[in-house]
Amino acid sequence: MSENVNDPLRVFWSSAVLAKRALFAWLNPAMWIMQLFGMSLFQIAFFVYVAKFVNNSEVTMEYVAIGNALQSLAYVSVFAVCNITGEEKNQGTIENLLVSPANRFSVFVGRAMFQIVNGLATVTIAFMYAALIFNVDFSQANYLGLASVILVTTFAMTGFGLMLSSLGLFLRTSMIIANIFLFIGLLLCGVNFPVSYLPTYLQPLSYAIPMTYGTEAARMAVEGASLGELSGLLGAEALVGFTVMIAGYLMFRWFEHLARSKGTLDRF
Amino acid sequence: MPRLRATVSSFRHQAAMFWAEPQWIIPNVIAPFVLAMVVLMIYREPSPEAVLYAVLGGGMMGMWGNTLYASGFSIQSDRWWGTVDAIFAAPSPLIWIIGGRTIWNAFVGIVNGLFVLVAAMIIFQTPLEIADFPLFILAFVLTLLSLAALGMLFSAAFVLTRSAQVLTNGLEFPIYVGTGSMFPIFLLPYWTHPLSYSLAPTWGIDAIRYAALSDYAQGFSAGYWGDLLYMMILAVFYLTVSIWLYKAVDHRARKTANLMRY
Repeated sequence: MSENVNDPLRVFWSSAVLAKRALFAWLNPAMWIMQLFGMSLFQIAFFVYVAKFVNNSEVTMEYVAIGNALQSLAYVSVFAVCNITGEEKNQGTIENLLVSPANRFSVFVGRAMFQIVNGLATVTIAFMYAALIFNVDFSQANYLGLASVILVTTFAMTGFGLMLSSLGLFLRTSMIIANIFLFIGLLLCGVNFPVSYLPTYLQPLSYAIPMTYGTEAARMAVEGASLGELSGLLGAEALVGFTVMIAGYLMFRWFEHLARSKGTLDRF
Repeated sequence: MPRLRATVSSFRHQAAMFWAEPQWIIPNVIAPFVLAMVVLMIYREPSPEAVLYAVLGGGMMGMWGNTLYASGFSIQSDRWWGTVDAIFAAPSPLIWIIGGRTIWNAFVGIVNGLFVLVAAMIIFQTPLEIADFPLFILAFVLTLLSLAALGMLFSAAFVLTRSAQVLTNGLEFPIYVGTGSMFPIFLLPYWTHPLSYSLAPTWGIDAIRYAALSDYAQGFSAGYWGDLLYMMILAVFYLTVSIWLYKAVDHRARKTANLMRY
């Protein structure tokens, strides 16, 4: 038993399996499928019709459809992952989890694993909507490049979600942070308009979020850019994703320390 | 009178819950505010009319966000806290209790809507030049009441499901799209128009635009008063259905005895 607890890979795997089981213990699979197919459709539709109405030559319907198809990932990688700590609090399991000697990184990255799979499925469906319903032209697309963009963005944004999740240890709820960052991404990450439209002082903030690189790379991949041309953006995105994940882990330990010392761990 | 007393108590209880954790207003304000900002950024250099058009849509979205989350979590929170069976066991019918909560949420919805309006006006430095202020206030308040009626309808359905939170998250954008909160609904596919017309806020936002914009050319042929009439007919319909639904839900919940499951 103690051997298992000390093995980070074992902890990671059991945490991932438990997270999936816990999700479907309360969520009807039919509801999950409805969410998988419904969320991105209406988000893309909203901004596509806004773009059609506004008629800005730089922000075409294709531009916003691709941006929102990739950004639909945020519902999973930001919202669901950010709520991991909050849900542990709600279920009354956070204390048990934190008194165990298991590696924290393995536990919480394991918790997010199912959401990575969920995120990949969500974005794939969203790109299908972009092609089939919103008439985005994929005739020149580099599918391998696009798949790489989706994969790297999913991992990087899950790291970002985990970083936000660490705040949930100290705050009464992580859901508010999750809600804020779910929508802030639409404004900051070049999803609906070029980052250059933003005031200069906000642009560095855009490039601290992995999604910004992802939306730019996805548009290039749809236009047919090669993997070599995408490598710069993908490398930068992976680096930012890795950095926020490490920052998230350090924040997690810090907030755990704060929550223990102030006795706020089970406050929600 | 005892029923009214239950409504008043429920209203006071909901207010106390809000003041115990007022941070919940943040997501309800952030979402429509950010969406209105995104729309205005897509315009790049919006005209004052475009700013007002987007901001009015944002105000309506703010009210809807609040109504939706309040109705979605109305019973779900009781499930988490273990108080849902006590509410059902109380002699007052459920709808009078939910009614009190809904009225409080409608008050908060007004604050939400006005906050989005004023904040966007300040950021984009556009004066709030409303063509007809009394008619604007009338349309604004009636739209909020119609949203509350729609919220009552949804909250009745949410009582039966453990997935109210998922449904709540999923219903935000469909209403933004269906009601034409940020664009005229004639841009939507023709077959979706009946769905849009069946939503009271579609008429409400059109009436708000008629009252606020002096040269509003894309409005429905019903005009301002026609919009209000259709909206109120739909709101009364929602309310009637929700009263029936609450009775059915109460009956079913007692029969299946799985209300506490979450």
